[in-house]
Amino acid sequence: MIFRELGLAIWISFKTSGLAALIASFLAVPAALFLAGREFRGKRAILLVNQTWMAAPTVVIGLLFYSLLGRSGPLGGLGLLYTQTAMTIGQVFLVLPLILGFSYTALRQVDKRARLTALTLGATRRQAGWIVLREARFALLTAVLAGFARAISEIGIAMMLGGNIRHATRNITTSIALETAKGEFRNGVILGVILLVITLGTNILVQSGLRTKDGE
Amino acid sequence: MAGEIYRLEGLHYAYPDSASRFALEIESLLVGGGETLALVGPNGAGKSTLLMILAFLARPYGGRLVFRGGNPWASEAGVVAARREAVLVTHHPYLFKGTVGENLAFGLKLRGVPEADWPKRVGAALDLVELSGRERANVQALSAGQVQRVALARAVVLEPKVLLLDEPTAALDAALGLRIEAVLRELGREAETAVVFSTHDFSQARRLADEVLYLSEGRRVEYGHLNCFSGTASTDGERSWIEPAPGARIVFPGERTGHVTCVIDPASIDVRPADGLSGDAGPNVFAGKITRMDLISPSSALLRVSGDLTFRVTMPMEDVEAKGLSLSKAVLLELRPDSVDAGHD
Repeated sequence: MIFRELGLAIWISFKTSGLAALIASFLAVPAALFLAGREFRGKRAILLVNQTWMAAPTVVIGLLFYSLLGRSGPLGGLGLLYTQTAMTIGQVFLVLPLILGFSYTALRQVDKRARLTALTLGATRRQAGWIVLREARFALLTAVLAGFARAISEIGIAMMLGGNIRHATRNITTSIALETAKGEFRNGVILGVILLVITLGTNILVQSGLRTKDGE
Repeated sequence: MAGEIYRLEGLHYAYPDSASRFALEIESLLVGGGETLALVGPNGAGKSTLLMILAFLARPYGGRLVFRGGNPWASEAGVVAARREAVLVTHHPYLFKGTVGENLAFGLKLRGVPEADWPKRVGAALDLVELSGRERANVQALSAGQVQRVALARAVVLEPKVLLLDEPTAALDAALGLRIEAVLRELGREAETAVVFSTHDFSQARRLADEVLYLSEGRRVEYGHLNCFSGTASTDGERSWIEPAPGARIVFPGERTGHVTCVIDPASIDVRPADGLSGDAGPNVFAGKITRMDLISPSSALLRVSGDLTFRVTMPMEDVEAKGLSLSKAVLLELRPDSVDAGHD
């Protein structure tokens, strides 16, 4: 029975954090492409805000969304608090600046001639943008995986927005907290090891992505 | 001229948001199908900028640029269509990550060329640049010269109406450079491709181009300022010469006779203080005065030396300073025979 519960917690972690990393990537990568390809007034301020946001504690983001999604909050009517959706929303905002920052750096490192070459060979502006993304594909994948690793290992948002509800929003990190509080250290350690294996696996993927990029 | 390709009228360009005061101004220029135009001039003259404009990668802010009878800048679709007919190979070309074959197929895919035709066209283009069978080679493993050739093949495979080349043989050894020159000549003759290329090598411009545009500080310099002399060449069996002015004789290598045009590379003329000596110092040596000195780059100057003949000479600034050359100074100007290129009109 305990294994079924642990399995469910792992599945919820993968589902909410994977979705969060994916949604954040769809927002962050185009934004990074825009920022990397243009110089404009206010760009430095945007990057500074992003960098600051990157370091925001998860409980602060959890608190912010709790106040928005809570019954008395402006979005309370949506009834999202203590759902997997709320966890995903919070985690999107947690990993968005991380993926944006990593992607921005990756895209800035793409040779400026790549876009020009694509254009002179007949690409439209959109196609040239795709070429720039393709040239940075391994570094971008690294950014997405780093975002996923950050989301799956956080607890503040999962606890505050998910509420640690059994079979509904209980994920790996909230399970560890609960098992430890109950005195079930063995279960806590098992889950901790599983979480470490997942983040280790993600990091290995990130590293191999970087190596491939270097080796190309 | 098989149909007009480019017509430039009163074209102006300046770098946007740049502290540089550089501006390109071309009063008029016509390029026809199958024609080869060389852009020559010192560094910073505007050759690469003009190529970017002709490739529709930089938009002129004034004047008219007519391409095959229309104005591509009128719409985004027009610009993309024009770029697909005028392909630029830059001085330091960029190859996309992957294989040589993938790079060559890139433009074919964009143009909707059926995939079944790719191998044949890619193979033929690689043959032209002497890289046969290298389709599967990773671009990371290529030398600088090979990168240049792959970039050229990547443009040629698209069979564009215009090929724009920024110093196309700069990274190649002499033999391969000549081979690429032959390819460019062939393209102009057989495929009716207009070729516009920049070069520092004046004799290359002379060998390849139907017309030469000399640029200095973003402006077209009159063709006559290139020190071109027409006349009847005489030969004594070893040397050929023409006499462009009474008492003046320009000797050039070879055994050409009859009416020829001599072209002298402004960068290959030696100027030294006259130190009391006057004219008639022998063949290829002319006396004159420096009547104008312009700094054309941080390290070189363009001098006008007027005497019986007027020459324009480019010299490194350190030579100008070392020799104590200044305005109004009496100088002797010497042409090395190997700096004189002569050909029949």
